[in-house]
Amino acid sequence: MTSWHVDEMALRRWIGRSDSLADSASVEQHLLWCDQCRERVNAAVTGKPAPGVVDLGDMWSQVRDAVELPRPSVFERLLQRAGLPAHDAKLVAVASAFRGKWLAGVTGVLTFVALAAALGDSRGVWLFLAVAPLVPCIAVAFSYDPKVDPALEPELVTPYPALRLVLLRTVAILAMALPAVALFGLFVPGRAPYTWLLPAVGCVAAVLALSTWTSSLRAAVAVSAVWLVVVWSLVAQAGSPDVVLHARFQIGYLVLAVTSTVIFLVRGCHVREFRPRRR
Amino acid sequence: MTASISLRGVGRRFGAAWALADVNLDLAPGVTGLLGPNGAGKTTLLRLLATALSPTHGQVCVLGLDPAVPAERTGIRRRLGYLPQEIGFPRGFSAFAFVDYIAVLKEWTQPAVRHAEVRRVLDLVDLGGISTKRIRAMSGGQRRRLALAQALLGSPPVLILDEPTAGVDPEQRAALRNVLAELARTSIVVLSTHQTEDVAALCERVIVLDCGRVRYNGQVTELVGQAAGRVWLADAPDAAASASWRTGTGRYRNVAEHARAGVEHVEPSLEDAYLLLRGGTRPDSGDVREVLS
Amino acid sequence: MHGSRSDAALLAAIGERDLAAMRALYDRHAAWLSVRLTRRCNDCDVVADAVQDTFVAVWRKPQGFRGDGDVAAWLWGIAIRRLVSRLRSHREVIASFEMMDATPVPAAEDQVLLSVEYGDIGQALARLSPEMRAVIQAVVLDGLTAKEAARLLDMPVGSVKTRLSRAKAHLRAALAEGLP
Repeated sequence: MTSWHVDEMALRRWIGRSDSLADSASVEQHLLWCDQCRERVNAAVTGKPAPGVVDLGDMWSQVRDAVELPRPSVFERLLQRAGLPAHDAKLVAVASAFRGKWLAGVTGVLTFVALAAALGDSRGVWLFLAVAPLVPCIAVAFSYDPKVDPALEPELVTPYPALRLVLLRTVAILAMALPAVALFGLFVPGRAPYTWLLPAVGCVAAVLALSTWTSSLRAAVAVSAVWLVVVWSLVAQAGSPDVVLHARFQIGYLVLAVTSTVIFLVRGCHVREFRPRRR
Repeated sequence: MTASISLRGVGRRFGAAWALADVNLDLAPGVTGLLGPNGAGKTTLLRLLATALSPTHGQVCVLGLDPAVPAERTGIRRRLGYLPQEIGFPRGFSAFAFVDYIAVLKEWTQPAVRHAEVRRVLDLVDLGGISTKRIRAMSGGQRRRLALAQALLGSPPVLILDEPTAGVDPEQRAALRNVLAELARTSIVVLSTHQTEDVAALCERVIVLDCGRVRYNGQVTELVGQAAGRVWLADAPDAAASASWRTGTGRYRNVAEHARAGVEHVEPSLEDAYLLLRGGTRPDSGDVREVLS
Repeated sequence: MHGSRSDAALLAAIGERDLAAMRALYDRHAAWLSVRLTRRCNDCDVVADAVQDTFVAVWRKPQGFRGDGDVAAWLWGIAIRRLVSRLRSHREVIASFEMMDATPVPAAEDQVLLSVEYGDIGQALARLSPEMRAVIQAVVLDGLTAKEAARLLDMPVGSVKTRLSRAKAHLRAALAEGLP
């Protein structure tokens, strides 16, 4: 290649757009392979922000943001659409419960169970009955349990109000899980979908309340065990699975939900206690 | 707001065992090192200072606030940076995304200001150039620096670091020491480490813990001074020494409570003084056992 | 440190998610890309968007550069296409060509330089109509396809093709004239 470089006047005319097509073609072709002359363009253009001229510094900030900033996940955007401020949406969406794989697993379980129920077999109905209300409460437990949330320790000692975080996550999970449970409930013969809601809410509230004493995963396990025992004993007594959804028991679930919520709110400050694993 | 931390008669029990017993400390701005063997209670003490644990009995006072009172505890957490001993990272996050997430938890709600702060702390630990890298693709030392970065958000007045330089290569360790020294001009920095060189290079004060109790609390120079005249080199390990090891030159370095006469004395290092302190202590039997490190 | 690395080396580093290398590439190329794009379209917001899009595209797929030719030429190919897709109003494009139309014939010493690079083509080009010059620049110099040039210049593809062949015929005739 020749050692020819664009002379200063020609370069300035090119930048100022006051030259002809031939001149500009010459400069532009040269710039495609000459780093030195590109640097001269840099020097001429940098540091002179003016209206009608691009601002290189500002453009870099935009590029950096586009490349560096984490893009909000689908759930985050949904939550923002629902009215949650951007930073809260980010916190809620991070919870394990919202991870795609986990959701797929839950959907799989529910589908299986709904199929079993739809077959009309009374054991299938029993299975659905037992599992459906537990799904939201396991989801809630997963969303802030130390065993599952790997970054828990630094999160624990941040000033963000723990209560608000847990409630936000719980509401978001319920908003997703309850319609899903209701939808699957349609496959179960004989019962209207909404009757599953109260037991589900009751179990979730119980998990939250218990999590102020012990870890949320243990709370979920305990509540699940108690629920299964209750269902089994009621069904064994009455002979039909539908009895668990009977009106008088619904009142019981409501009472459970309300009491648990109250306990949770009162003891909310204990939610963030660090409970070290025994080695 | 007083710029100090004080502990009075603090003890912490897990089940039947006492991880910490009868701890009395005062910490002021500057870097304080925390030394001790595994199981001495260093991590428990740091968790206590970071408000992740509450004491079984005793009083803790951080920056004039009492962590037992929920409102004041939040106030402490607003001024606190904490690096735990083990840290896991959420799946699929990049370095930037993780620090950004912690920044949100630390109440940085304005995106532009928050992003600028995230970049600042990433640059401090020299991870700015790889801020978009997935954490799972990073080395152990890079992850440790990332964990330190989240603790540095907001240049907190209280910085609690549990083994900040573990797995970090010597070059980066020197850079981190500079960062911490800079911060320690106005902040209270407490760091625990196994590396006595870190303490020697960085800390004015050192606390030595053993079996949940404070064995030494004072200036580094004083501790080193305690070993004066008690360290010597010989061609063979000395049976009378409490600790003896082969150095790179092929000779043996010996440390003992009472040095013999006529041996080749050398300048004591912090490590020598620490070994002397540990060697001179008979481990308590029975009640003070460590269950958790 | 980065000043000594070739553009291709920077692209390799960008493939490893090195943001500092990205910054270095930006510092080298953003200025001339912006100026060259502004000569195609007066609207500096559109130009800024196009340049930003270009570098984000480079970040996303640095291996798109196959190692043939200059990195700068590859960047230009991305940039001009991003400009075409970002165009909101064609008034700005036409305005930039009207500016070119208003330029004087080059001065004597520049003609000497031009004949070193392009011979008599410079004069021949100056005698073409603005629309023909625009087509030459878009298709021949900027490397756009006829379809892309049609979008940029807001004329039907057929017009682009006819103008191009007419311009080529003019140039050939002018050059033939110029031979001693």
